[in-house]
Amino acid sequence: MTRITINGKEVEADPKKPLITACHEHAAQVPMYCYHPGLTPVGSCRICQVELQQGEIPPRIVVACRTPVAEGMVVNTETPQAHDARRQCLEFLLKNHPLDCPICDKAGECDLQDYSFSEGQAEGRSVEPRRKLEKRKNLGDVIVLDQERCILCSRCVRFFEDVTKKPQLTVSGLGSRSVISTFMDRPLTGNYQGNVADICPVGALTLSGFRFQARVWNLDKHLSTCGECSRGCSITVEVLRRKEVKRLRPHFNEEVNKWWMCDHGRFSYARLNAEDRLQGATLHQDGVPHPVDRETGIAAVVDMLRVHSGAYILISPWMTVEEGEQALAFCHALASPPRLLAPPTNDLKDDLLHTGEAAPNRRGLEGQGFQTQSRDDALSALAAAECAVLIGERITEILGVEALAELSNSIRLIIFDTHALQVSATNVCIGIPNAAERTGTWINVDGHAGRIAAAKPAPPGVASLTRSLEEIRAALAPVAGEVGS
Amino acid sequence: MVIIKRKELSFIEKLYLPQIFQALSHSFRAMFQPRITRQYPEEPLPTNEVTRGQPRLTLLEDGEHLACVSCGLCEAACPAYAITIDGHETERFIEREPERFEIDMLRCILCGFCEEACPKDAIFMSDELELADFSRAALVYDIDKLKRPREELQGRIDYFYQVNDRWRTPSSTS
Ligand code: SF4
Ligand code: SF4
Ligand code: SF4
Ligand code: FES
Repeated sequence: MTRITINGKEVEADPKKPLITACHEHAAQVPMYCYHPGLTPVGSCRICQVELQQGEIPPRIVVACRTPVAEGMVVNTETPQAHDARRQCLEFLLKNHPLDCPICDKAGECDLQDYSFSEGQAEGRSVEPRRKLEKRKNLGDVIVLDQERCILCSRCVRFFEDVTKKPQLTVSGLGSRSVISTFMDRPLTGNYQGNVADICPVGALTLSGFRFQARVWNLDKHLSTCGECSRGCSITVEVLRRKEVKRLRPHFNEEVNKWWMCDHGRFSYARLNAEDRLQGATLHQDGVPHPVDRETGIAAVVDMLRVHSGAYILISPWMTVEEGEQALAFCHALASPPRLLAPPTNDLKDDLLHTGEAAPNRRGLEGQGFQTQSRDDALSALAAAECAVLIGERITEILGVEALAELSNSIRLIIFDTHALQVSATNVCIGIPNAAERTGTWINVDGHAGRIAAAKPAPPGVASLTRSLEEIRAALAPVAGEVGS
Repeated sequence: MVIIKRKELSFIEKLYLPQIFQALSHSFRAMFQPRITRQYPEEPLPTNEVTRGQPRLTLLEDGEHLACVSCGLCEAACPAYAITIDGHETERFIEREPERFEIDMLRCILCGFCEEACPKDAIFMSDELELADFSRAALVYDIDKLKRPREELQGRIDYFYQVNDRWRTPSSTS
């Protein structure tokens, strides 16, 4: 640790990190565009200028993101000279900026807006027309570039160089005609493109799926965890009008995902907004579904379990640890071994984040004592069973609706899932909340716990899985007592 | 305790007739004096550009598209939460326009904050003041009920810039 002085206060700073980090750690507000803690600093935008005095040399203006911390530095971020340097820098950045904030999707979380406000660059002096460039340039399926809004900070360029290690973007052209582009206009590829829209400090790179969808200040942000693979990236779930998940964004987590997340996880929100959700419960008899309320469904489940005491119980790797605990007690009450369905795998595995194991909580549930069953084992066990209880989000999806439809008509299925199952075998489906509608904990592949948050209300007539299981267990308890006596 | 005895009325007083004739004479006299009340609704209220009636959306010169770009600033400024906007992408130069723009006129308190917040000259207070219908839903106005040619609101627009030109200049609406 090195001792430096920031705004008259003597503080300890990490000599391995640039000066801007020390400033931010000690509550000195230094703006930044090109600097990003996850990327190599280049010092190209010059917005982070501060006044620095070292030894006998008179104070001078330096860029905080490219200056290493050294013993005895005296840094001042608030002197008139420092403010003026930043204000001038902003004036140049705004010289060619279209200022279409009312239309721009970044408005409200835009660094250019924020710093223009804080550094007081309210009016420009230039009289020349602004440059005209392409405003809707598709860089592949995920990202749309607005060349006029770009301030050429090169964060996106460095993201592909430093993080995914597959450079795809570059700054081409000279002077005021410089633009961000791909080689020969080839579309961007890879599973991490979405991140460049997050790190773009202005509204130049936008997600094609989120463009013009919502104003960011109307989105309620809930800290949560991605459930699309066993990495369990920390994310924010952003909900419009308490109804619709509009986007998922990574949230900084040193141990798990740093600042990033993959596109597979980022664009999984369509599932969270699915319209055709199971409300209450459904009784399928003779192939005809009868929608009923949850209480009737629970009563039907209790009746079935009284008749078939040796039911085959299988839970989904999307269950939280808290739900797992309740499921464990449920298995115990029915004297069944606790079984977990193995998560599906996909070919997205890479060195950065995605683990290729497309479910969030296998490790947590195995730690609680569940035995993992492969899908084939589970299906052959189901074929032999008289009655089966399938518990948890997406369990029918992993087993496969076709495979379940092939089961003989004599089997009795009890299903807790977000969607009703349409098969000919007699079954009861009880609706449960999805990952954006409940709270709980998932344990990721390395043992880190990730909280999931209820970001929107569950459909009407749906109660938590824990509550449904508890009610069934309570209703069965006296019968178990009679059998025992 | 004080006991108040009611005053006994005399015979003339019990007839009430003198009072009735006195009142009628007032009425007859008033018939021939100039009227001081307004015959609403046959005779509507006079309004001018200072009247802050219900907010209305202006159309661009093409008479087809709204000037609104669905930025949501009026929605954010509205203290009564009367405005709901959903935007979508357009093919035009102006990249976004409202897909849904609703003002719940029962909630609107005619404060004019939306007019002040708008960066695009797209919402102005009109001189329309009347509000009556048989259902609440019918009083949630959508784009079709809100849009007006700019000329209809021109008086208000000019007045608006006259009082606010200390801090803003007309933006281009093209
Ligand atoms: S790496 Fe896994 S947990 Fe992270 S965002 Fe992608 S799918 Fe979700
Ligand atoms: S006039 Fe006031 S209350 Fe009415 S819509 Fe505008 S901001 Fe809301
Ligand atoms: S403030 Fe103006 S441009 Fe913005 S949404 Fe309201 S009416 Fe439209
Ligand atoms: S943030 Fe330091 S120069 Fe860009």
